[in-house]
Amino acid sequence: MKIAINVLQALILIMGAPLVRGIIGRLKAWIQRRQGASIWRPYADLAKLLRKEDLVPPSASWVFRCAPIVLLGATIAVAAFVPVVQSSALLASRGDFFLLVYLLALGRFFLSLGAFDGGSAFGGMGASREALVSTLAEAPFLLGLVAVAILAAHADIAGMVTWTLQQNFFNISAVHILAFTSLAMVVLAETGRMPVDNPTTHLELTMIHEGMALEYSGPSLALIEWASAVKLHAMLALLIALFGPWGMASSVSVGAIGVALLLYCAKVALLMVLLAVIESGMAKLRMYLVPDFLGVASAVSALAVIFTMLVKR
Amino acid sequence: MILLMPLLIALLGAFVVLGFRNPRVATRAALLTGGLEIASLVVVVWQVHERGALQVGRYLRADGLSSFFLINIAFISGLVLVYASGYLRHTGEGRFSSPRWFYALVFWFLFTMISVCLSANLGLLWIMMEGTTLASALLVGFYNTEGAVEAGWKYLMVCTVGIAFALFGTIVLYLAAVKAGMNPAAALDWVSLMDAAPRMGLDPHLVKLAFVFVIVGYGTKIGFVPMHSWLPDAHAEAPTPISALLSAVLLNCAMYAVMRYDAIVSHATGSAFPHTLLLIFGVISMVVAGLLILVQRNLKRLMAYSSVEHMGIIAIGLGLGGPLGLFGALLHTFNHSVAKSLLFFSAGNVRHNFGTLRMDSISGMSRTMPQTSAALVVGGLAIVGLPPFSLFISEFAILSEAFTQARYFVVTLFLVILSVVFGGFAYHFLRLLGGEPNSVPPSSKLIPSEYSVMGIAALCLICFGARVPHLFSVLVQEAMAVLR
Amino acid sequence: MGLVEIATGKVLSSFSVFLFLTILLMVVARRISTSVLLFSVQSAIIAAEVFATGFRERLAEAYVVGALVLVIKVVFIPRAFFRLVDRLKTPRDVKASTTPTQSVFIAAALIYLSYAAVHSYGQSVHVPEDALAASVALILTGAFLMVSRNKALMQMLGLLVLENGIFLAALTTTFGMPLVIEIGVFFDVLMGLLLMGIFTFRIRDTFDHLDVSKLRRLRG
Repeated sequence: MKIAINVLQALILIMGAPLVRGIIGRLKAWIQRRQGASIWRPYADLAKLLRKEDLVPPSASWVFRCAPIVLLGATIAVAAFVPVVQSSALLASRGDFFLLVYLLALGRFFLSLGAFDGGSAFGGMGASREALVSTLAEAPFLLGLVAVAILAAHADIAGMVTWTLQQNFFNISAVHILAFTSLAMVVLAETGRMPVDNPTTHLELTMIHEGMALEYSGPSLALIEWASAVKLHAMLALLIALFGPWGMASSVSVGAIGVALLLYCAKVALLMVLLAVIESGMAKLRMYLVPDFLGVASAVSALAVIFTMLVKR
Repeated sequence: MILLMPLLIALLGAFVVLGFRNPRVATRAALLTGGLEIASLVVVVWQVHERGALQVGRYLRADGLSSFFLINIAFISGLVLVYASGYLRHTGEGRFSSPRWFYALVFWFLFTMISVCLSANLGLLWIMMEGTTLASALLVGFYNTEGAVEAGWKYLMVCTVGIAFALFGTIVLYLAAVKAGMNPAAALDWVSLMDAAPRMGLDPHLVKLAFVFVIVGYGTKIGFVPMHSWLPDAHAEAPTPISALLSAVLLNCAMYAVMRYDAIVSHATGSAFPHTLLLIFGVISMVVAGLLILVQRNLKRLMAYSSVEHMGIIAIGLGLGGPLGLFGALLHTFNHSVAKSLLFFSAGNVRHNFGTLRMDSISGMSRTMPQTSAALVVGGLAIVGLPPFSLFISEFAILSEAFTQARYFVVTLFLVILSVVFGGFAYHFLRLLGGEPNSVPPSSKLIPSEYSVMGIAALCLICFGARVPHLFSVLVQEAMAVLR
Repeated sequence: MGLVEIATGKVLSSFSVFLFLTILLMVVARRISTSVLLFSVQSAIIAAEVFATGFRERLAEAYVVGALVLVIKVVFIPRAFFRLVDRLKTPRDVKASTTPTQSVFIAAALIYLSYAAVHSYGQSVHVPEDALAASVALILTGAFLMVSRNKALMQMLGLLVLENGIFLAALTTTFGMPLVIEIGVFFDVLMGLLLMGIFTFRIRDTFDHLDVSKLRRLRG
């Protein structure tokens, strides 16, 4: 029964990802006083792309063709890590947070390779920028998760979530607030959102993630878009699970699961509103300022780790 | 009631003077108010001498120590006001820069300084001390020149930060008092703290911590090295009467605050710790300022560094303790202020006549400005501590105390620095006074306001150098008794 | 009033963390208005702390002081700053002498330093370590801002942060000083800011810029 629920969790994350993207787009449009597209539009986009022809540049090798597949596979694996309605997930006990971070890195790495392989100038530029951003984002990502892991005395996501569930909501510790701040900054950087990268830009010189996907078309592009949506949803779910998991089902009953699902939707909605506000409110940072942004995230996460020592005293 | 008079007169005077737009009327109003102010201060001092400590409400109190410093304020402010009436005769109307603003700010400044000396509550002391910084900042930047604005900004910033540290020290002392069981409402009252000090001494760490912050904080206002960076700039760029007020009165008020804290801490934890700190700061200030005097090029900066040096001497006297040391320190606050005022007044004349204060562009003063030269000579000889001037007496007292306590290191440094300072002043002043006059000043005649105050100051120096008047000595003894 | 109890308990236990966050964000801010907003948030947190302390210790004075903090430091002073920035017509960037990355690491080091300092002294005084460390960190950060920012306005802000730290230290150790003294301190801070404002106008008029690192005429 638990396995069924775990599969359900993973499906929610994977299938609900385009919906999350659509809602965020609609919220941003509403904040910017535009009409905005329907929230189901990303599904329509994916369906349209799957029907189209897959054009491959003549100079590309097998890397170009299988990069989207590896990216989607890695991201789906990450989605299987994250608990949604109960404090376990498909793979949550099989690997620790290092595996999660580096699965994401694997997908990103292959996408960059594919972009290089595509042979276009903008692909290469986007790939090199992505390399910079992800290198700098790795430290705060890991340190933030390390801080939470030290407090929880568990390295796997399920253990961390279980520990957090047992804490009193009103005893928020300094470590958690700092780790949340730095991980939130990392989420913005990793998923290519403002102020690090503009997901709706059409100016190639400002693209990071979009630049890497520029050469792809048809089903490959569909896979890449879907993978980035799943990444966003999974990281939001990770934030919720690590820092606000209260309400997760403790028993395997329909009622508890239903309640947990509703609560999860509410929390994701909150995070989506926050994300939309931040994206609409901040201008994109120029490239040489992105290291400063991630430097702040690193310092905050380093401070979180230092605070774990102070707390344990 | 008597205690309130000086405060009220100063406050009301500030507002009244502001109302007169005509500079001459404003000046006369200011002089009148100044006279009333001095009279009320003398009354307070006399009453304290006759009847002992006076107290009004919970926050104002005058005892022997306060009255001694009040005499200082009264005397110097009188001299300064008279001098300023002549000095400002050429200043016109401007935003914050006209004579009426000058006098209004001076009276506001006097109000805050008198409140410092009259406050019974350490919190009020802090508030008023910060008030002195605020009141004098606009006076320092009075001339809107680049140097004045820079000096004013630096003064404001450094002193506010320093005072913030003093606030922290006050809070820590309050904490120590409350922890020792004092009633929180009375834990900032000086008299109650003196009574409860032995109880506070059971937890000496907090009290010592408080004193460290207080001496660093109020030491910034005194001008101890290394917190002195604002002092040469502020004293040099301010108008001459204000330089005299700053050097002669404000530094003494800050020293007064440190004396009050020193008394509490000595009663609580023994005098070894606070006095050692005072000695360290005093010696360092004396040495650094004394050496820097040699390389000065601006006349008023030279005198500002001399103020730092003398504050160091006073701190040494306090730090040595003992009857002679304390007597010498207290007497020195008065003597130094008189001599420094004389020097600053002469510098004002120099500036007025030569247009500059750079010492290498002035020479031959003895021929072109005989009276000012005489004043400079008298002031210079006094400030380096030569007999028959009064500073010799106070410095000799401090030195004797050092000898009695067998602190030969302090004695040696003291004498060495005194010689160095003597050499520096001799060098600078000889260049100013001797040689061929390189420019003929427009008019070298002193106007009555100028020569009268300079004459009074010089006379005071000589008389006090011959023999400290008995009444004065009694007042100093009463001040010392407060600190036991 | 169970909810109020919970709220005060929460405020008292975790507010210092939010203060650390404002410290970290303030040292990386690139515009004066952002720094002033962060100062406003900081003062609001401290005001909440004052109210919570007043509620728990049943001190009526604390409410007055909290209201003063709210009115003066959260509303009045930031608005004065914004108006000052407008009227000075100065470029709105913060002339920092350290890059944001360096600044935030220095700030993190200062926070750690304040914890170390409080730990050795905090034994004799029974106060929550977090709050005292937050106040020391505020003092150190204020000093750091004054030293590393070259704009006159930012030096004023550094002074305000320093004063916030001292106020917080007073609050956590002694639950505030007598009311009259607190009011006097506020008044002094206000007057000080007024004067500094006047002086920034003078600096701008005399020097045509507000860069205090270039005020180096007087030396020696």
